[in-house]
Amino acid sequence: MSRRFLAPAVGIVVFLGVWEAFVRIFHVRKFVLRAPSAALRHLWNTRSTFLEAGWITVQHAGVGLLISLTIGVLVGAVLAASPFLEHATQPVLTLVQVAPWFAYVSSVVLWLGSGTPPALFMVGLVCLPAYVFATVDGMRSVEPATLELFRSVDAGRWEVLWRLRLPSAAPVLFTTSRFNLGLALAAAYYVEGANLSNEGIGAIGRRASAAASGADTLWAAVFAMAILGVLGLLLISLLQHVVLHWHAAHRTRPA
Amino acid sequence: MSRIVTRDLTKAYGDLAVIEPLSLDVPAGQFISVIGPSGCGKTTLMRVLAGLEPPSGGDVTVDGQAPATARSRKRVAMVPQQPGLLPWRTVRANARLLLDVNRASTPPDAADPTALLQEVGLGDFMDAYPHELSGGMQQRVALVRALALHAPLLVMDEPFAALDEITRAGMRGLLNHLVEGRGVTVFFITHSIAEAVALSDRVLVSSPRPARVVADITVDLPRPRAADVEDEPRFVELCAQVRHALHGGMS
Ligand SMILES: Nc1ncnc2c1ncn2[C@@H]1O[C@H](COP(=O)(O)OP(=O)(O)OP(=O)(O)O)[C@@H](O)[C@H]1O
Ligand SMILES: [Mg+2]
Repeated sequence: MSRRFLAPAVGIVVFLGVWEAFVRIFHVRKFVLRAPSAALRHLWNTRSTFLEAGWITVQHAGVGLLISLTIGVLVGAVLAASPFLEHATQPVLTLVQVAPWFAYVSSVVLWLGSGTPPALFMVGLVCLPAYVFATVDGMRSVEPATLELFRSVDAGRWEVLWRLRLPSAAPVLFTTSRFNLGLALAAAYYVEGANLSNEGIGAIGRRASAAASGADTLWAAVFAMAILGVLGLLLISLLQHVVLHWHAAHRTRPA
Repeated sequence: MSRIVTRDLTKAYGDLAVIEPLSLDVPAGQFISVIGPSGCGKTTLMRVLAGLEPPSGGDVTVDGQAPATARSRKRVAMVPQQPGLLPWRTVRANARLLLDVNRASTPPDAADPTALLQEVGLGDFMDAYPHELSGGMQQRVALVRALALHAPLLVMDEPFAALDEITRAGMRGLLNHLVEGRGVTVFFITHSIAEAVALSDRVLVSSPRPARVVADITVDLPRPRAADVEDEPRFVELCAQVRHALHGGMS
């Protein structure tokens, strides 16, 4: 267990060390790059502001992610059962996935107003395609022989879905959640920045970039987001370990 | 009443004839094996009997009903070639799977499979997950899963094909022990002549596709089968008989 955390910790420390040295040796301008020590010091000094804002951002990203997961699994289950619908929706989902979503964030804010609704909408939207694709793939990954076994006792559609297809999709849904976590945090940050309600780390970041002396705050916001990302990944890993203890990746002995 | 009755049963996929007109009577409690060249149509016949595939022509009944009806009443229990255990279910829960699925149709005499798991030597592994079991243990769970249904017909498609020879021999003894005296009819597909003779009351030898019965051999070895049945001269004779029929049918 300790080995599993040692390697990432070493990686991060070395990375921050190189960054720190780079900024100090080459005297990089403040807005371009701030030394990690300065950014972290500022983050610590203004921690109460960041804790409050961070909690908002966590809610935006976390709840948005859960909404996206729920809708993604529902849509994916329908598409997995109907190749026609799958092919019909695939271009739209791909479009959502590749379109530069930060370009239309302000339109969404205009449409949904300020505060939480546009944040949840954007997080939900940008994470949706990956969840849908993952659900379709996971549900289709069921062995034909196992499906036949279910058919041999005349299992209903719902039962096949619930007892067989959904658990089969669980591993790939976790993998997708790790990937989507970054997207969710970025979308939450962006919407908060484009928002009038001045809530969340994104709002802090926007105000900092507008102020002449905001470099420390801006980089503190960047670090705050990074910390949220790491904590989110840890949480997902923990859940994965509990929920997927039966899965091949968690086997205690090689099979 | 016979458990399986077919009259001029045929099966074709498009232009591809898979089963030639087949008329068959399998009495209740009989253990019948089908042996034949690869691709001759054995699995197809099993799927028709299990109600998973409609026949193209002729009549077929299982336990007096259409196979599809028997299937919807959970009167046919299947053991596939691969155990097909669900990795997220424990051994105990996997053994219950066919009872849990479509629960409304589970027959009232279906019992908790725990005793069966004990009987096949998995008593200490009830709460283990499939990946913690050897291949032979997994196939034993698959056997229990099917037997727990108390279905009058058990269909098995080369269930031991993926196992090593030593484990296979053990599984033969176990299967004989499990089905003898239970009154269950077994339709068993295999590529192993020794396996067919050791287990069966009757061996059907099929021609290459389209499947046609080239020999219907009664295995008159006494029940319960002795552990060393394969050393008996009569066993060796019967194996030779099956082998000749198989090679005759191939040429
Ligand atoms: N769903 C299907 N559609 C079309 N053709 C099929 C289908 N299922 C089986 N066949 C064909 O029917 C023939 C018999 O197949 P089947 O699986 O019954 O053979 P088998 O005797 O079980 O072979 P093996 O011993 O290799 O398992 C094959 O030629 C196969 O290609
Ligand atoms: Mg086959």
